[in-house]
Amino acid sequence: MPGVTIRGLTMRYGDVAAVEALDLDVAPGELVALLGPSGCGKTTTLRLVAGFLEPEAGEIRVGDRLLSSPAGVVPPERRKMAMIFQSYALWPHMTVAQNVAYGLRFGRRLDRADRAGRVREILRAVQLSGYESRYPGELSGGQQQRVAVARSLVVEPEILLLDEPLSNLDANLREEMRFEIRRLHEAFGITTLYVTHDQAEAMVISDRIAVLEHGRVAQVGTAEDLFERPATRFVAQFIGRTNLVDCVVTEPGLVAHDGLRLRVATADAKAGASVAVSIRPHAITLISGESARVTSDGDNVLTGVLKRASYLGAGLDYEVDVAGVILRVAAPAGARVAPGTRVTLVVPIARCLPLPAA
Amino acid sequence: MGTVNRIVGTVAVAALLLTGVAHAQDPRVDAAKKEGKVVWYTSLVLPSAEKVAKLFEAAYPGIKVEVHRTGSQRILQRVMQELGANIKIADVVHTSDAGHFVLLKDKKLLAQYTPAGVEKFPAGFKDKDGYYFGLRATVNCIAYNSKLVPAAEAPKTWKDLLDPKWKGKLVTAHPGYSGVIATHVLALVNLYGWDYFKQLAQNKVMITQSAADPPGVVASGERLVAANGGDYYTYQLKKKGNPVEMVYPKEGVPLVVSPTAITAFAPHPSAARLFTDFTFTREIQQVMADSEGLYTGHPDVKYPNDKPKLHELKLLTVEAEELEKRNEEIKKKFVEFFGA
Amino acid sequence: MDRSLPVWVVTALLLALLMLLPLGWLVALSVSGEGGGLASYRAALSDPHLRKALWNTLVLAFWVGIFSLAVGAPMAWLTARSDLPGKRAVRALMLASFVTPPFLGAFAWVMLAGPNAGLLNKFWRDVTGAEGPLIDIFTMPGLIFATTLYTFPYVFIMIANTLELIASDLEEAASILGARRLTVALTVTLPMVAPAIASGFILAVLQALALFGSPAILAMPAGFHTITTQIWSYFQYPPKIELAAAASMPLLVATGLLLYLQKRVLGRRGYASVGGKSGQRRTIPLGALRWPAFVVCLAVMACSIFLPYGVLAKAALSRAWAQPLTWDNFTLNNVWFTFWQYSATKDAIVNTLELGIMTATVGALLAALLAYTVNRKLVPGSQFLPFLVLAPVVIPGVVLAVGLFIAYTRPPLILYGTLWIMFAAFVTKELPIGYSQSDATFRGVHVELEEAGRILGAGRLRVLREITAPLARSGIIATWCFVFIGVIRELSASIILFTPNTKVMSVVIMDLKEEGQFGAIAVLGLFMLLMTFATVALMQQLLGRDVLGVRE
Repeated sequence: MPGVTIRGLTMRYGDVAAVEALDLDVAPGELVALLGPSGCGKTTTLRLVAGFLEPEAGEIRVGDRLLSSPAGVVPPERRKMAMIFQSYALWPHMTVAQNVAYGLRFGRRLDRADRAGRVREILRAVQLSGYESRYPGELSGGQQQRVAVARSLVVEPEILLLDEPLSNLDANLREEMRFEIRRLHEAFGITTLYVTHDQAEAMVISDRIAVLEHGRVAQVGTAEDLFERPATRFVAQFIGRTNLVDCVVTEPGLVAHDGLRLRVATADAKAGASVAVSIRPHAITLISGESARVTSDGDNVLTGVLKRASYLGAGLDYEVDVAGVILRVAAPAGARVAPGTRVTLVVPIARCLPLPAA
Repeated sequence: MGTVNRIVGTVAVAALLLTGVAHAQDPRVDAAKKEGKVVWYTSLVLPSAEKVAKLFEAAYPGIKVEVHRTGSQRILQRVMQELGANIKIADVVHTSDAGHFVLLKDKKLLAQYTPAGVEKFPAGFKDKDGYYFGLRATVNCIAYNSKLVPAAEAPKTWKDLLDPKWKGKLVTAHPGYSGVIATHVLALVNLYGWDYFKQLAQNKVMITQSAADPPGVVASGERLVAANGGDYYTYQLKKKGNPVEMVYPKEGVPLVVSPTAITAFAPHPSAARLFTDFTFTREIQQVMADSEGLYTGHPDVKYPNDKPKLHELKLLTVEAEELEKRNEEIKKKFVEFFGA
Repeated sequence: MDRSLPVWVVTALLLALLMLLPLGWLVALSVSGEGGGLASYRAALSDPHLRKALWNTLVLAFWVGIFSLAVGAPMAWLTARSDLPGKRAVRALMLASFVTPPFLGAFAWVMLAGPNAGLLNKFWRDVTGAEGPLIDIFTMPGLIFATTLYTFPYVFIMIANTLELIASDLEEAASILGARRLTVALTVTLPMVAPAIASGFILAVLQALALFGSPAILAMPAGFHTITTQIWSYFQYPPKIELAAAASMPLLVATGLLLYLQKRVLGRRGYASVGGKSGQRRTIPLGALRWPAFVVCLAVMACSIFLPYGVLAKAALSRAWAQPLTWDNFTLNNVWFTFWQYSATKDAIVNTLELGIMTATVGALLAALLAYTVNRKLVPGSQFLPFLVLAPVVIPGVVLAVGLFIAYTRPPLILYGTLWIMFAAFVTKELPIGYSQSDATFRGVHVELEEAGRILGAGRLRVLREITAPLARSGIIATWCFVFIGVIRELSASIILFTPNTKVMSVVIMDLKEEGQFGAIAVLGLFMLLMTFATVALMQQLLGRDVLGVRE
């Protein structure tokens, strides 16, 4: 099972760069999600890997085979890949069995009985046994999706590409299918690239996530890496909610925004530099009233006025005004604090991440 | 239109205008001018019809001639169709099928009017009850392309056309459209019986509609010989320089006298009478003979020398009543033999 | 109750009157001949000429369908899926072919392929020394050929548009699974476009069934009739209207059946898939066949456009069209004659323009109102309106004319002899295409835009005037243009309904044909084409996209 290596991939549409000097490594058997808002270049990247588009610069390798470069592109039919499309792209004039068996006809010696057997097997794996002679028009969205998956898996591709396959499903089904896809990935172990704009989906499904912004990879890492240690402002905001406070470094490890002073997790930034400090809402503990607690060395302790309290059932969502800065706090279910109360906020220093300001 | 024709036309107009003073005093002219126009349903070939119309308009400014030209059979169809819907448009009706006028007279659709000067015309040009009069005449002749057919090999008689050597090389017009052709067919049927046309059809004859079409088809070389057609149009084409020649078979040439009449329901009766008189004047009849190659009933008209005079030809005539009675039969049998 | 309801109801009733009156009379008269009941039908069907004409019509329609498919489908595929050079040129020429009136093309081909004088045949004989002609246009094969040239664009448009609509990811899915481009074309694209192919065939057959001009020009001189020319001949004196009505029925039944078939074929497997991303398509390389394919396409367009237009221009400017165009032969006399000497021309042009503008305006308006009524479901039962509106497609022009003739030559409303009867015929005939266009337009104007206005207090009619109309404007104008072009070239209904005062240009051309006035026909024909292309240019300008609706 080979991996995918992308180096310096560039593709422009007119003046706009859809993908700009993109680098990415996908290890053999790994499932990497390409995550980002619309227009970030994730679908373009996927289509470049598939061979539907030709890059202006850069290289795409699978294993040690060079598949795409400005010099030429190996056509999609010879890349030994499979792709699941957002619309599933099932052929309406063929039955489920015919759809699934389609790819088995190329490049291998299988007779009809073999093909039928493989089709039966894979349909069982996606829990669609018995649906062989149905037509796509007769299936529900979820079932169509599973046929698309079966069609791609049965050909035993080296690389599997998925283009937002769950977007057309309703919310419940989507959740269910996330786990299903993860399960299939673990069962088959194919190197996979998965495009999505839904961060929860990416976090559930993938081994690693590559967050794309304006055609470049903003950060690559596991879900935990990205969540706990976002490298840029964009990533911090895109993955989970966060508070971002624009501050100026007063001395290494210490930042200030007007009257607000914070100790931050890293001391790399030089004095005078601008940073955006990321503080996750659930990293903040809210205590009613001015605290008389002993200030621990590991925490920032701030005081402010509670502006808004929302009851969410499983928890509480607060907005606190701290020296003119509004901070969102995610608190566990419990006694609600009334707006207008003076409150104390405790944030571990390690959870205050200074990120590049821009 | 050739320049010669133009000159002749201008001379004719000038002649008319010189006598125009007399016309101006004519009270009918005032009445006609009040009506403003005359609607002329005519089967006279288009260029000729337009020319006569323009000459009238030049002589009587203020009175327009609306020319509606189509084949004789179509004209009758139009008139009857319009009357059926109570539409009265036509002032003057002029076709080459004498049978039509028997029919129209019977149905009381014609006005009784004798144009000035027509007493001197031969009997064949006059209706004894004074409803319609022969405006012009032509004969059916054979025409051939003089460039492609040497004179020696050209057909000389109607019977010659039955020769298989002319297979695929003939063209005919249609009695269902043209009065000239309807007359021709009846004349030949009277001469040789329907068998003649049955045999003629074996030669895969191209079918056109108007009697003016076969000469044109022959001139272009699309077919070599026209099996019928009004000789006046062939003559016009020849004078324009087209490679066509006429043959007047010795067995006889069907004479077609084309009557004209004013309708009983004419919306512009004064203009209609003025126009009718105009067309029967010597000047206009002479124009028809000179540039259009027609024969007329007017005794004072001089005919060109490059075409036979009527009295030099053996004429086959057909009674108007017979034409009217056998009209259906003519059309039906023709279609039966020729297919369409 | 919605205060605007009367407007919609009146529109719907107007429509019903327009459609059903002539049809009703047609049926009534066909059973009212001497002997009553089915006597006319028996007389008609026992007439060997009519039977022959029926047979000829079937033969013509079938072969035109086959050849239109054989030419149109590959060309559509080449322009939509391959790397054919000069695609834009091909599409532009296709449009020209689409708007060329078939009878004008037939007439031009008389000059090109008349067996003896035809220019192509002359050239062939000069070059090869052969005795006979290359093509004899005055034959059934000749008629099929001349008709196909102006029918295949329908097939082309149908298939090219469908190919565009197929979501590209269906073909990409096949590619990535290993199928070569040709395999994709055969296993995925072709089955999905099959309904459009069948539909295109049926459309071509329908066109050929209803044609009058081409058979009148090519078949009658060769001694055979088609049903349309046969029906027309029943109007000759003495008219046999009952026979005409009875003979019209088989034609009506045939077209009805075909349309029903077409609906079934298209409806069952609605393959023109919506949804799915349509990305940049990969074209199939033709390799060594690239330029030969282009040459073939060009040859087809030469037969349809270049040669006929060329010979028309030549005839317009020649004294004798069959002779070479030398200085001797050159003349502007034909132009002079047509426009200044021939009294029917000016009136015909005025009539055509009047009718064109009237029909287009009223037709576009009516179509818009109807499409709006149906789209917004304003009247109970409005889902049945489309059937009624599109019904005239079933009725060939000649048949419609017969029905209208019968309906409007008797009390209470005698329209025969006026422009109104032609107006009625044209509106009826062009309404289907007007409606289709308007329907597409209103689908594009989302109902929420109107709801936003209404909730603020504007009534339906105001909303229609102030919100919908401006948004739908370019679509309605396109409808107008389509209808206008349709009226300019209409012949099969005009030829029956005209009177000397209400001649239109197409009728005048047929008149001139019967006289053999080639020069005048050519001049008038070219003028007609000029009017048509001017309208098309206007449409392209307004719509800013390819008029045929095929995306670039």
